[in-house]
Amino acid sequence: MNSRAFTHLTPEMVAEIEAFAPRYPSRQAVTLPALHVVYERLRHVPFGAVAEIAELLGLAPAEVQDTLSFYQFFPQEKPCGRVRAFVCRSISCSLRGGEELLAGLCDAAGIEPGGTTADGGLTIEPAECLGGCDHAPCLLAAGRLHEKLDPAEAGAVLETLRQAAGPEPSVAG
Amino acid sequence: MGVVYVDNREIEISDDSRLNCIEAARLAGAEIPHYCWHPGLSVVASCRMCLIEAGSRDAETGKISMIPKLVPACQTPAKDGTVIVTESEKVRESRARVEEALLIDHPIDCPICDKAGECLLQDYHFEHGQPERRADIKPFTSRKREMGPTVTLFVDRCVMCSRCVRFTREVSGTAELMVVNRGAKEEIDVFPGHPLANKLSGNVVDLCPVGALGDRDFLYQQRVWFLKREENVCGGCSAGCSIFTEHNQDTVYRLKPRENPQVNSWWICDEGRYGWHHIHDPSRLVDAVRRGEDGETVTEWSDVVGRLREDLAAAVGGGRLAVAVSPMLTVEEAWMLCSVAREIDPRALLAVGWVPVVGEDETFPSGFTIRAEKCPNRVGVEHVVACFDSQLPRWGELLEAIESGNCSAAWITAAYPPAGGKPATQAAAWIDEATAAAFDRLREHDRSCLVVQDLFDSPLAARADWQLPAAGFAERAGSWVNIGQRAHSFAQAIRPPAGVWPEGRLLWNMLGRRGLYDPQAIRREVAAASAALAALADEIPPTGIDLRLRQLAGSP
Amino acid sequence: MGMAKFEPVLMEAVGAAEGHTLESYRSRGGYAALERLLAESQPAEVVEMVKSSGLRGRGGAGFMTGVKWGFLPKDHPGPIYFCVNADESEPGTFNNRFLMEDDPHQVLEGTIISCYATRATTAYIYLRYEYPRSLERLQAAIDEAYAAGYLGGDIKGSGFSLDIYLHRGAAAYICGEETGLIESIEGKRAWPRIKPPFPAIEGVFRKPTVVNNVETVACVAQIARRGVDWFRSIGVPADPENPRDPGSYGPKLYCLSGHVEKPGCYEAPLGITLRELIDDYGGGVWKGRRAKAAIPGGISMGLATEAEFDIPLDFKGPGSVGCMGLGTAAVVVLDETVSIVDYLHNSCRFFAHESCGQCTPCREGTSWSLRILERIRAGKGRLKDLEILLEMGSTMGMMPGSTICGLADGAAWPIKNAITKFRGEFEDYIKRTNPEGWMVTEAVPALEIVGAH
Repeated sequence: MNSRAFTHLTPEMVAEIEAFAPRYPSRQAVTLPALHVVYERLRHVPFGAVAEIAELLGLAPAEVQDTLSFYQFFPQEKPCGRVRAFVCRSISCSLRGGEELLAGLCDAAGIEPGGTTADGGLTIEPAECLGGCDHAPCLLAAGRLHEKLDPAEAGAVLETLRQAAGPEPSVAG
Repeated sequence: MGVVYVDNREIEISDDSRLNCIEAARLAGAEIPHYCWHPGLSVVASCRMCLIEAGSRDAETGKISMIPKLVPACQTPAKDGTVIVTESEKVRESRARVEEALLIDHPIDCPICDKAGECLLQDYHFEHGQPERRADIKPFTSRKREMGPTVTLFVDRCVMCSRCVRFTREVSGTAELMVVNRGAKEEIDVFPGHPLANKLSGNVVDLCPVGALGDRDFLYQQRVWFLKREENVCGGCSAGCSIFTEHNQDTVYRLKPRENPQVNSWWICDEGRYGWHHIHDPSRLVDAVRRGEDGETVTEWSDVVGRLREDLAAAVGGGRLAVAVSPMLTVEEAWMLCSVAREIDPRALLAVGWVPVVGEDETFPSGFTIRAEKCPNRVGVEHVVACFDSQLPRWGELLEAIESGNCSAAWITAAYPPAGGKPATQAAAWIDEATAAAFDRLREHDRSCLVVQDLFDSPLAARADWQLPAAGFAERAGSWVNIGQRAHSFAQAIRPPAGVWPEGRLLWNMLGRRGLYDPQAIRREVAAASAALAALADEIPPTGIDLRLRQLAGSP
Repeated sequence: MGMAKFEPVLMEAVGAAEGHTLESYRSRGGYAALERLLAESQPAEVVEMVKSSGLRGRGGAGFMTGVKWGFLPKDHPGPIYFCVNADESEPGTFNNRFLMEDDPHQVLEGTIISCYATRATTAYIYLRYEYPRSLERLQAAIDEAYAAGYLGGDIKGSGFSLDIYLHRGAAAYICGEETGLIESIEGKRAWPRIKPPFPAIEGVFRKPTVVNNVETVACVAQIARRGVDWFRSIGVPADPENPRDPGSYGPKLYCLSGHVEKPGCYEAPLGITLRELIDDYGGGVWKGRRAKAAIPGGISMGLATEAEFDIPLDFKGPGSVGCMGLGTAAVVVLDETVSIVDYLHNSCRFFAHESCGQCTPCREGTSWSLRILERIRAGKGRLKDLEILLEMGSTMGMMPGSTICGLADGAAWPIKNAITKFRGEFEDYIKRTNPEGWMVTEAVPALEIVGAH
């Protein structure tokens, strides 16, 4: 067990990451779980954390970064909003107002798609099929699928999200 | 034995051959275009340029069944009965589409791209591509990104063959290079703070099929169609990797690895790759200087032949002649040097010259090894010296002899490149003042003569009565024997500066031979006299020959 | 849920409160089949059972499950791995979500039985990031299963040991491809592998591996409980004239979405028609409109026109009208007001975003087709573009051999179907929106040129 002090990975994070290790015969397989551990805590995976994960798992930093960047999912420069709202833009939701919902939400929040509100509360971005097609259009935020949203009521939806974001940290996405 | 059918030809393969269809087709003279496959790397079959039609022929019935879809030649084994079609309409169309796909987002950089002239994207476009662009027109030039101290990436020229990434993961084991992002936005990059800086880094430039990866050492120096290439051997260490010296107008522009399954497979190390600059260093010794009663005189080379012998002969009356046979010299030069020395002084002490050693041997995951012994021919020189003196004296014994005062003359051949590629200064010379000062004992005799034959000035050269310029490795012709007892021979790639006579030419003339220096003639003499070097009698193939084979076989 | 013409089996717990608990599952007969098989049958017999049932994979490829299991090397020293593909990301598809959220123990029992059959000792459930509730429910179910002795060492004294772990994805569609999933588990970028070697020989961590869909393993649980004959009594039997037709047996979860009155997940025998699903289960096209087209099985399968709605939704039907196949049986209905250009743009955007990027035709083809659609929608399309798109649609893919995996085929089929079946609409659109340039055949400037990276 690596006892050296990391600057990004806290001892708790290291312990959480190490708990995955017995599941796999290779340390490299712990990469994705490790990225999730860091992302859940920090709402992003800074480059420094990537290097520390690499050291912990006995990999080159480039190997971890390679994997991370493939998913186009983990922010790196700065944390995403306390609530990260994924708005589906795939076919079933597009047929029932998904694009209008995304545009409406972004307008109401005053950000571009993919952007984060100034208070750091909310990130709104497009996503591909969320698997909620029976209640399109839908969005995924704060740990659950929000269904049966009225694209014309973007303001009300936004309010729900803002409340979820609150002043306190909550589980992202 | 098995038979593989390539287009309308039949190729025989052995039972244990593990060829893919690209290799098998090559045996039939058909070159299947490809980007991502390389024999030294794992197979990924991602470029899809090598798609062919393949099938098998039933040995009994003769019936041919073809796989209905195209298959990558790189991942399809060529076994007994395999049928390969490299030129059909389907195959041609597939290649044209792959070329078109790669060119959709390729920057229009050919006029400013180093790779022009040796670029697979260019070559395949002319051979296999479509004549007109169908994709939207979007002229732009590539972004540039430094991968490390020696390699530049022109990001947008990349065709995502992933050879460079696989190299750093599989061959150097250093994993600095990575692919980032997904889909058409993928790029090659390095992790911040972890540049591409391993000892084999330069190989990724060789591997890159297009002009994405560039060697900073070579960038914009020369258009490749002006370069001539000579099959040489690297002089950087005792591994003796096979190389191409690429040059124009007696100037070396770059070194490239030459495939040699017995030595370096497809790679060379950076130290060897970039270790040629000293050949063109302006501070190289270029004049044959005699320091005598009448001061310092620059001597014509044709005069050196006679006057040098005279001076040495006059000096050996009171003491011995000590000769350091540098491990930078070829076998032929070593032989001639020993012969000339013994002509002048039958009791001459012939010793193996100083052997530079830096650190330890370093082996990489693929097996490629950089040797700690930083000279190419210690083994060859030892075999030669052993012919003349079975005691095989070395540099240490030579220094002892000098210090003992028994020697009145010394001929020290050196020709070592500056250590660590640093500029050649007195302070960086291979021999220090203290060691060089030992040679002052020669002067205790009435007549003495110190001959130093080297590339750069040094405390020893400064003391020499005869300060002779040496040849750089690309200026020699002859043979070297590497640490694995493998002998390679090579021709002279470039001429030395200012009319300098390489050691071989000088010694050939000092031996009184007629005409141009002929290393092969000397080689035959050496082979006849030395059981260890008997293999040199034969024609040496471009990848060298293992001396031990002939040693085991006994004399002819 | 719609009116059940077919008594739900796979979905029997869906909608029931607390249906996801171990207690509920056992009260419905759950885990009895597992215990019986462990006590009475050898692994090879369980493989035979699944083979005889005619079960075909529900993840999209429709490969015979028992045959796939049979590819594992006999007498391999192990370890053998089993992966449950819960990366459900095919647009229009959400049936796995129902199964995992509302009846996770059915998924687990099916997985454990499958592992017993294939002698796998470790199973990974590769769960897409976007299903947080499934994560909670599955993890809770796994914990209950360990506590009840259905997982862990020497399960119910059988000598068979199994660990199941959840492995969470990160929103990449290609992780649903068998070998992409494997690479992702191994911690690398999910670039699918070349085959051979196939996963049964060299899979995750280079060991023999089987990858099966969530619905497939749920079927295994039901086959074990109710029997082969039961399974074969449902669906479309094999064509007796065609020895290569394995039939389309068993119940299927159909996802219905888009322009219908009642989108939802409906269980019915394989082989109901597209029209029956839409009208009888889905309440018909919404707002009193008519349908223009429907996607028969997830976006990759292409489009069926309204006139083609009488095809059976089994493993043969969609192919008979030029669609790729049944896929995930996720039907998405487009009403008469939908622009086919918009539909195709949506599809091309999806595949360009999700292409893993390793092989040239897919990486460049998906990107190029998106840019053509964008230019068409920006009023700068040409008829020539339809030719180019059709060519891409017919040459890009694993089936012609030009790519490593089937994502490219999924990208190609919507292009092929849309332009072939709705050519007139495309041509009208292009001519109408680009009156000056629709006839140009030379290459035209790209939409954005400055800083074109």
